[in-house]
Amino acid sequence: MSMRTSRRSVLRAGIGALAVAVTGGCATGGGAKKPAKNLNAQAQVTGSITIWSWDVAAKALKRLAPAFEQQHPGVKVNVVDIGYDNAYDKITIGLKSGAGLPDVLQVEGQKMQSYIGTFPSGFYDLSTLAGPLKSQFNAAAWATGTDENGKVYALPWDIGPCGVFCRTDIFQQAGVDPGSIQTWDDYIAAGVQIKARTGKKLLVVDPTGDSTFPMLLQQEGQGYFVGGKIAVNTPAAVKAMTVMKELNDKGLVDYEKGWDALVSSNKDGNVATAPTAVWWSGTLTDEMPELKGKFSVIPLPAFTPGGVRTSNNGGSLLNISSQSKNSATAWAFIQFVLANSDNQVSMLKNEGIFPAFVPALSDPYITGPQDYYGGQTTFKTFADLAKDIAPVEYTGDYSKASDLVTTATSAVMQGGKDPKSTLDSTAQQIASATNRQIAQ
Amino acid sequence: MATATTAPHRGSARFVKGRTRPRLRVVHWAFAGPAAALFIVFFAYPLGASLYQSFTTDDGGTQTWAGLAQYRRMLHDPVFWKSLYNTGLLLIFQVPLMIGIALVLACVLNQSWLRFKGTWRIAFFLPSVTMLVAYAVVFRVLLKTDGGMVNQALGWFGVSPVDWLNNPVWARVSLIGTITWRWTGYNAVILLAGLQSIHREQYEAAAIDGAGAVTTFRKIVVPQLRPVILFCSITSTIGTLQLFDENFVLTKGGPDNATMTPVLYLYKVGFDQMDFSYASAIAWAVVLIIGVLSVIQFRFFGQSDKAASTARSERRRR
Amino acid sequence: MTLNPQHLRRGLVLLALAVGAFISVLPFYWMVVAATHSNDELFHSPPPFIPGGHFLSNIKSLESSVGFSRVMLNSLGIAVVYTLISGLISAMAGYGLAKYRFRGRGLLLALVLTTMMVPFQVLLVPLFQMMSNLGWVNSYQAVIVPFLANSFGIFLMRQAFLDFPDELIESARIDGSGDIRTFYRIVLPVVKPQLGALAIFTFMSQWNSFLWPLLMLDSQDKYTAPVALYTLVGGTHVDYSGLILGSFLATLPLMLIFFIFQKQFVSGLLGGAVKG
Repeated sequence: MSMRTSRRSVLRAGIGALAVAVTGGCATGGGAKKPAKNLNAQAQVTGSITIWSWDVAAKALKRLAPAFEQQHPGVKVNVVDIGYDNAYDKITIGLKSGAGLPDVLQVEGQKMQSYIGTFPSGFYDLSTLAGPLKSQFNAAAWATGTDENGKVYALPWDIGPCGVFCRTDIFQQAGVDPGSIQTWDDYIAAGVQIKARTGKKLLVVDPTGDSTFPMLLQQEGQGYFVGGKIAVNTPAAVKAMTVMKELNDKGLVDYEKGWDALVSSNKDGNVATAPTAVWWSGTLTDEMPELKGKFSVIPLPAFTPGGVRTSNNGGSLLNISSQSKNSATAWAFIQFVLANSDNQVSMLKNEGIFPAFVPALSDPYITGPQDYYGGQTTFKTFADLAKDIAPVEYTGDYSKASDLVTTATSAVMQGGKDPKSTLDSTAQQIASATNRQIAQ
Repeated sequence: MATATTAPHRGSARFVKGRTRPRLRVVHWAFAGPAAALFIVFFAYPLGASLYQSFTTDDGGTQTWAGLAQYRRMLHDPVFWKSLYNTGLLLIFQVPLMIGIALVLACVLNQSWLRFKGTWRIAFFLPSVTMLVAYAVVFRVLLKTDGGMVNQALGWFGVSPVDWLNNPVWARVSLIGTITWRWTGYNAVILLAGLQSIHREQYEAAAIDGAGAVTTFRKIVVPQLRPVILFCSITSTIGTLQLFDENFVLTKGGPDNATMTPVLYLYKVGFDQMDFSYASAIAWAVVLIIGVLSVIQFRFFGQSDKAASTARSERRRR
Repeated sequence: MTLNPQHLRRGLVLLALAVGAFISVLPFYWMVVAATHSNDELFHSPPPFIPGGHFLSNIKSLESSVGFSRVMLNSLGIAVVYTLISGLISAMAGYGLAKYRFRGRGLLLALVLTTMMVPFQVLLVPLFQMMSNLGWVNSYQAVIVPFLANSFGIFLMRQAFLDFPDELIESARIDGSGDIRTFYRIVLPVVKPQLGALAIFTFMSQWNSFLWPLLMLDSQDKYTAPVALYTLVGGTHVDYSGLILGSFLATLPLMLIFFIFQKQFVSGLLGGAVKG
């Protein structure tokens, strides 16, 4: 009997010890919403740092790392390509559990805003060190790395000023001059003529991951939230959604799902235009070399004559995770990569990453003529447009809003629903999911 | 050992049928011990944590007790209800369709005159071992609206292009089609093994009685195969209730949530919207639904509980 | 020559079977096609339908982009170790649950049952916290250990052992064989078919498992094949031919295993499930 008890108590003690080991005595996880750590600028730049990135961005970092290591003997930079599709699963779970993250993370603008809203203590506060660099970065891109009080959490990397990529051969065949398109009404009228003359549609929309509606909204200077309130049913939003609906009702939209379908529809000339960001250019040169000379770029059509003619789509930042033990080196590397004209331009040349660092935009490579576009100064067009991008508000609830807006977009475009009433009910749904008020 | 002397016959205490009161003895636990320890550490603890989390609200890593708030929110969440509706549709249409095809297929593969059986079998089994990443790409190429292979093939018969993945109705059809594509052969192979355990004499007797193929199928195959059919049905039912892979790679639950399922939804709520409390509540609703369905299945098919319980355990982890 | 109605019927059945097999295999055929074309050729519409000439160059670029041979070895190592250990644990637990009555047995059974009902996705965060507290992040044991207790395996083995005659165990004991020796020498050999089926099954599911290894592994030389292949999907650039070639090559071992062991797989799976 006594033997059994003692065995059991040993067992209990063992389980207890195991429990502490596995749970770390922190069953609730995370910790309080405490302010972000301030970056210590005094520390030595030494030791190793690890960076999570993906795709061409990871390639660029791997290419630039040796030069940095040479400048700072004893430093080792590890770049890990974690893939794009599931990168945020890894980052989110690391932020949520307060463990497992590397020193530096690549995060896209709208997602960075979600993270700042949800996990403000997950990143180093870079305000003191990055603050002085503010004027050198594109204002809209800068806004995606700061909170509502202007506190800086991340340094902008690239930006996605938007324009319309036009297939000149299709336009010619239809007798439409791309340069004559000034407003969205003109764009739709051009689309109707192109369809009538050539049978081609005007643009591709992915109903499960649409990026056209947020692009139009940002062109009007607005995000899904304004002043912390829900703004998906403002007059501007209804106007943008009405453009989407008209595109559909006139039969100008080729609905395709996924990146592959988007690329092949453009490559095969099923559509005459791609209203999207500058990075699309990299896809054209990589996947459609045979179409050289067949594209031209015009600024986005305006909502009213003389209105803003661009928007933003995409763009990443680099931040320092508060789990980093080597923040000084991390900051030095971020600065080396992003706040440096030569490196930024080399990333545009080699990897097609369009810099948010303004001094880089006056480089001759950007202002000069582009061979692929038959000698047009395409990058200059985008560099000029970038200045007009309106900063918009994302908040920590962006993901929730975004899912619901995507649903609304497909309801309006394919379900034939009314833009105003659909967006009104979307605003209600966002309100109940986020406890935010609806802007009036 | 004190315990050894209290048990009059060493063997009788340890067998399930034994009458002696169960007691803690090292050797009894020796076999189940490792599994039990692993379950407690790596399953029971996370499970408890998620249950606790479902009763909280989560704000930037701070959890506050919120009682049933998340569950109340679920009751008024149209997306959650739509995901259940979609699951219901799949249970009504997809599962019987797939089991039906698999059954017919198994019968054909069991014909004595059929040659190259191994090759046929692997041809039909192949889809279930495909890597998910390939599945996504290949089906998007096949189902692309403009110039996709399926639409081109339909074009030969004068059918105009179908918007397979972007129209709410057709997206559901595509989902049903792709799940069926992936798992029919798998079920057919299992049913085939069941068929092979039916004795030849029974077919021969039926043939002598002048029974046709359909009669034989109805009178001999189906009743004999009942436990295996049940096994496949239950496996597929649970697979459907936890459906994630297919709609995740194919449509991400869209368009207009037409292909959303509860598990995909909870994944989105947790990982996209970073609301892990609500995600946990949805997960526990799924657990509850599976639990209730299990009880119903046990009531209906009590005598075949062995098949049922094994089937319930068979599901893949990703 | 007269048309035999039986032959006609068989011909029609064969035709239907061939159509079915065609649908089943078509995507694989297209994988072969895609794996042998360069990326930009794949974006044509209609997509190519005959294999192209880029097989070797695609292999070369796959090797350099994701270190394909290395990640295949990682996958193999993880899947083999997982299959062996979890098979043993399942067999032991199945035997314990089938043949012994002990305190907590009902609880253990209940735990096994709940495992099956819980969507795995919800356990991710607590499990992740646990792994990082143990310092296991970016290690192979983090991929392997948490799922070693495999409820499907335990159930399968328990069913197999329920059919196992008690008399055999009893007589072994009378001969003076200890419990553990009896298990290895007398009991295990009898359930080989079920063990084999279980091994194939666990190997396949571990081989294809994606989300957990993705969350656990943080360096590219430790990636498993599916995790590494997903890095070919970028935000603005996707290497489709590499992706498809890689997943085709990664599916080949599974095809081979099923082809060789299909009889054992099926009969073992069913032996435990529905017979008896």
